Amino acid sequence: MRNDRFLKRLKKEMPLWVELGWVKDEGQKAILDHVASQGEGGARYLTMAFSILGVALLGAGIITFFAANWSAMSKLSKLGVLFGSMWTAYITAYYLIEERGYPYLGQAILLLGVVLFGSNIMLIAQIYHIDAHYPNGVLIWSLGGLLVAYLMGSQPAMVASSGLAILWTSMESFGFESAFHWPFLMLWAVSLPIIVWLQWKHAVHVALAGLLIWSWQSFMHLTLYTDWAKGSALYLMQIYFAVYLGLFVLGMVMDTYKELEPLSSIVRRYGAFAALASFHSLTYPNLSAGARRPSYLKWGQALLGLVSVLLLVNIFASATSGGFMAILFNLIFFAGLVWLIYAGMHGEDRGIVNMAFFFFAVTALARYFDTFWSLMNRSFFFMAGGALLIGGGYYMEKQRRRITQKIMESRKAGGEYGN
Amino acid sequence: MGTKLRIAVIIALQTLALLSMIAMRQWTLNTGTHVILETAPIDPRSLFSGDYVRLNYKISNIRVGEVSGDREFKRHDCVYVLLKEGDPYWQPVSVHHNKPTVPPGHVAIKGDVNYVNDFFWNQETQKSEKVKHINIRYGIESYFVPEGEGRALERPKEGEKITILVAVDRYGNAGIKSLLVNGKDRYTESLF
Repeated sequence: MRNDRFLKRLKKEMPLWVELGWVKDEGQKAILDHVASQGEGGARYLTMAFSILGVALLGAGIITFFAANWSAMSKLSKLGVLFGSMWTAYITAYYLIEERGYPYLGQAILLLGVVLFGSNIMLIAQIYHIDAHYPNGVLIWSLGGLLVAYLMGSQPAMVASSGLAILWTSMESFGFESAFHWPFLMLWAVSLPIIVWLQWKHAVHVALAGLLIWSWQSFMHLTLYTDWAKGSALYLMQIYFAVYLGLFVLGMVMDTYKELEPLSSIVRRYGAFAALASFHSLTYPNLSAGARRPSYLKWGQALLGLVSVLLLVNIFASATSGGFMAILFNLIFFAGLVWLIYAGMHGEDRGIVNMAFFFFAVTALARYFDTFWSLMNRSFFFMAGGALLIGGGYYMEKQRRRITQKIMESRKAGGEYGN
Repeated sequence: MGTKLRIAVIIALQTLALLSMIAMRQWTLNTGTHVILETAPIDPRSLFSGDYVRLNYKISNIRVGEVSGDREFKRHDCVYVLLKEGDPYWQPVSVHHNKPTVPPGHVAIKGDVNYVNDFFWNQETQKSEKVKHINIRYGIESYFVPEGEGRALERPKEGEKITILVAVDRYGNAGIKSLLVNGKDRYTESLF
């Protein structure tokens, strides 16, 4: 279709180019003939579209035919039909691709093989009365499609596999209330390399749609059904927004790599859509109406805001302002450590408190070294350092013990610390 | 790897996946302990979709207070129900989160908690009782029958009693071995 438009436009432009002397008269005919002979893009597209439609109808026909005549057949005949039809589809696909040189029709028949593999899972479950965890059937089907996509370089099989993966995670999320269905991401990650490598545009659409659907389902489950995330929809949405914005930026970065450029606009569009949708959600005032939070969290939010600003400023800061930025980073780092100690106390988490003290000590020591090494007399530097270490270390250890002890006592008493 | 070999790998792996489904079920049926389960009266609202029967067992609803084992359950917990041999129906004696030690004359069947409720609708008395119970799915709740025969099982004739012979393997997986009407086989499962 696109080729027809291009040819029409060329025919319109060509007389002017000949007149300007850019193209010779005989060249004009050769160019137009060449472009016209390339006009099979539409036909190729149609072949593929009709073949896939045909596959869908054929698959539906086979399944309904056998379903209608099921009871008249013995188990062995049923299995023969199921396996035979699947094997025939794959062998026919091989014959069409390799022997007859019909790659598009061959790809469509490969897809039929994937469809039949899925229907075989369902029908074998029916024949043998297998009524187990049903999303597993969809997962196996999706894996079967993935296998065909990888081994035969089949985009239709990858599209089917990704679509089934979406169905699988939706079943797990809604049917079995799996709040954060991580396994989907693993399957998604496995399918990604070949999609990027072979630059499958349709498949990247389905994969990105799947990612957005999964993240939306996770958000709904986390905010509606889990205790820890109730009332935190606002903060969670901010994280989602940042991730989606990251996806949009990734699309822009991909634009600068020749190998990734063909997929970049698709990634950008999905990233922009998701980022805008999530930011739009932030504009609703009732999103922030959640549970009452302790005051230390507000300080945490302020620190998070400061860090975000500092990170942004650092991107645009010139190389010469590194020292000043380092001072700011140090200040915010120490402030963050103090906050973390408080947060650890509040959450009765001794591990966090110990970690914060450790980083506090390490960073303080590092700053002492790189600040006073060149300024002070060496012997004085070491003596003062030693005294500081002993005194500071003693003080910090005392504080750390005091806090962790309090946490332990609070735990024993079964109460909550810091309220 | 040539295209021929790739196609062969696809056919082999997908066939293997399908055969393993059959093999696992057949292993359960062949090696499992045979257990006779009583079907509870079928909920009149339950549907017979085409040619399959939805089965509801007495052991599908367990009153927590009437059995030993663990006390707290939530939806989608994996549980093991210890069944004791009966005459003829096997009865639940305890429910556990982890597979219990199985004494002689017992079997542990694995299930998934469908829901936990503090009220129980008694089909026989047609009254709601305040009693904590858990509804468990064992993966043996569907049974496909030849076309048109589902309705006959849905509404058994006067004096007809439908029971199910189930095989439970050593891991707790269950599979329907036979559907019995008045203790006699109506449908029996075989490999082919």
